[in-house]
Amino acid sequence: MVDLIQVAVSGILLGGIYALLSVGLTLIFGVVRIINFAHGELLMIGMYLSYLIFVSIGLNPYYSVILVAPALFVIGVIIQRLVIQPIQEASAMMKVFATCGLFIVLQNLALMIFRGDYRTIQMDISMAALNISGVSISIPRLVAFAAAVVIFGVLYLMLKHTYVGKALRAVAENRSMAQLMGIRVQRLNMLAFGLGSALTGIAGAFLSPFTSVFPTIGGTYTLVAFVIVVLGGLGNMVGAFLGGLFIGLIESFSGTYISSALKEATYFVIFILILLVRPQGLFGMGKGTEEVGLK
Amino acid sequence: MKRFLSLMLLLFLLFIPLFVESPFTLHMLILIFFYIALSVAWNILSLSGNVSLGHCAFFGLAAYTSAILVIKLGVLPWFGLPAGIGMALLGATAMSLPMLRLRGPMFSLATIAFGEVLRQVAVTWRSLTAGSEGLTIPFETGWLVLQFPTKVPFYYIFLVLAAVSTFISYRIYYSAVGYHLRAAAADAEAAQSLGINTSRVQMIALYWSAGITGALGVFFTQYVYMIEPEWAFSMMLFSVQPVLNGIIGGIGTVFGPVLGAILMTPLGEYLRSYLGTLHQGFNFFVYGLILIGVVMAAPKGIFPALVPFLKAKGWMQNRRSETDVSSSSFRR
Amino acid sequence: MTTTLFHTEGLTKNFGGLTAVDKLNFQIREKEIVGLIGPNGAGKTTVFNLISGMFYPDEGRIFMEEKEITRIKPHARSLMGIGRTFQIVRPFDGMSVLENVMVPVLSRNRDTRRAERLATDVLQDTGLLHLAHADPKSITVAQRKRLEIARALATAPRLLLLDEVLAGLNPVEVEEALPLIRQIRDKGITVFMIEHVMAALMSVSERVLVMDEGKLVASGTPKEVTENPRVIEAYLGEEEAPGAEG
Repeated sequence: MVDLIQVAVSGILLGGIYALLSVGLTLIFGVVRIINFAHGELLMIGMYLSYLIFVSIGLNPYYSVILVAPALFVIGVIIQRLVIQPIQEASAMMKVFATCGLFIVLQNLALMIFRGDYRTIQMDISMAALNISGVSISIPRLVAFAAAVVIFGVLYLMLKHTYVGKALRAVAENRSMAQLMGIRVQRLNMLAFGLGSALTGIAGAFLSPFTSVFPTIGGTYTLVAFVIVVLGGLGNMVGAFLGGLFIGLIESFSGTYISSALKEATYFVIFILILLVRPQGLFGMGKGTEEVGLK
Repeated sequence: MKRFLSLMLLLFLLFIPLFVESPFTLHMLILIFFYIALSVAWNILSLSGNVSLGHCAFFGLAAYTSAILVIKLGVLPWFGLPAGIGMALLGATAMSLPMLRLRGPMFSLATIAFGEVLRQVAVTWRSLTAGSEGLTIPFETGWLVLQFPTKVPFYYIFLVLAAVSTFISYRIYYSAVGYHLRAAAADAEAAQSLGINTSRVQMIALYWSAGITGALGVFFTQYVYMIEPEWAFSMMLFSVQPVLNGIIGGIGTVFGPVLGAILMTPLGEYLRSYLGTLHQGFNFFVYGLILIGVVMAAPKGIFPALVPFLKAKGWMQNRRSETDVSSSSFRR
Repeated sequence: MTTTLFHTEGLTKNFGGLTAVDKLNFQIREKEIVGLIGPNGAGKTTVFNLISGMFYPDEGRIFMEEKEITRIKPHARSLMGIGRTFQIVRPFDGMSVLENVMVPVLSRNRDTRRAERLATDVLQDTGLLHLAHADPKSITVAQRKRLEIARALATAPRLLLLDEVLAGLNPVEVEEALPLIRQIRDKGITVFMIEHVMAALMSVSERVLVMDEGKLVASGTPKEVTENPRVIEAYLGEEEAPGAEG
């Protein structure tokens, strides 16, 4: 019984990080309306940055996230401005090719710089854990989870109550109408992409203490992110968060009771199951999904 | 005049191995024919507006099926061929589920995942596939075992495969199915209201596309007589490359991918052998840049973009040629 | 003696909390030209979508030539003789006018050359022959509407649903379109048309059905309908009240 709780706890904590990753994706999707095949690479960049900062100035990722988040924000804005914006009006097919090209470029760039080896951040606290009635709770994961919840809370409030947040929601809801109302859609696209990337970068930073990074890690996380986002409902932020927790649980359980080598296979099966059984996700879809997603 | 030129071209191609001896050149030509066949096969599916980035799944499934039968059961590769194609078609059936339920990018994502999952399975299922170590086909020679001491027979085999693939694509394109595919890709609902069973035509395209790819998987494995998961299910080699060829040559036309393959294959080989050894991943990095670059600069493909230019110069007459479905026909 | 070509029983469709079509019963006889009018939001296009099969009703049944088609897929309905145009025209991008018309022909005739000839005939009948190789994006709205009709005609329909084919046309173009509609009927095709261009609809229809808020509120000859107080009430406040333009 304790084991079950253990697995569940680990799963939820992991889920917090996944939640950040997918909230980032769903935010970008909701506003910019693009399926970004390179989303996982943003996570990878976040992880590599955390690693580099750690090995160069010894700052642990929980602090260096202060640097990583803005860095990813800038990268996201650049990607939006240089790659996504010019092809805004292109067909969906072309957008697929472009973001796929981006994925290939980023992944191989990492391969060129870092080679194929695994880089790990070794810290003492990586191993630290609380012990509550037999259930071991890893401190790094707990911190990451707490931070994820706080960040999501802040984001949610921001979207609901600030002008910028409302503008973002307006663009997500109805782009042309927002434009007519004087909202600078291009700027908001960049903001959304930047924010989404920053969230993903933070997820990467939090992941780095207990996951090794290697150049092809992005692909798996892109898939996970999309499975979560579809599960939670495309464009639905709360759904993405909850979906992240759910998938964290699934991964924890399947990793323990099945095999961690078949992680991707598990995600794929879940993905297909969702599509067959409930394509609108557990919590229903947000807007604009017809353009790029499901029937 | 066109017929005469085509005949001349055909004869030329047939006689090349007689005066070309360099194995390197023959290998390059074999690769070109292989990629012509593969790109054309991929393009058949893309006519329906479905962009697959998971064709490596069909390639790998067929390749492994045949290889396992040949190596472990001593079956002749000529029997491995239908088995492999059958396996690829099974994979196509699995892919049809997301295809009929997902639009555009989400479908492409699902196809990537499909290929990846199969690769993982191939790595994990050691007892069947020997995992990452891979399998080797024991060396013998002869048409029966489909292995040869020189590259010349494979030259002809892949020439035939390229011709067959292009022929099938041509026949589909100009048939009722071809028109229906393009209509379904442009506007599925409108197509249905006109009596087109859009699901059925997409399935037809999918099966032909997967089947040809599977056949290529079997033959190519015989050619390199080795197989391992990273290669057989390589997204870059067998999913992205045909896409790149198609984009460069012009998607949605019969001969666009042919042109793209002819142009890109030597370039790809050059990139791989020079840049790839310099820095691991450099060649694919360049691929990615090319992909992004082409999308931004010439969304309909380089060849179609040149068409107005060529017409102006009088190098091409205005004829009712294949209409181009690239940008518009992605299923919405 | 004309037979019933098409009829519905208790046809109902809800969207969320809104009842778009409410227990609709009506029939259409062979070789009629029937108009369908009603204020915006009355449910007219929904009825068309239900007939053509784009979605299925929540309640009720649909019959084509006495055969129930309620759950039959759209493409099968087309093959049974139900053709339609769309309010916002949807020509196939990347295909010429001729190829657009060849598409439906090819679902009944696999030979491409024969299909080309048959499609050419349809283009001739609809006055589009000179545009055969044009790109649908480059022709006028009126011509695109004709293409929409030509494509539907190429399916050799028994019942043709015309969804606001006159919308967006100037008065001259409207005048040119009406004989085409009569021609279609004279060839033996039953026409069921939604229109807001009242005068035109009234002049070409033999019978008019009026919908309001999902229900059928009147049915009769154009004269009967324009004088029906219930119909006038439905349109109260609407600019295009029947008879307003006379």
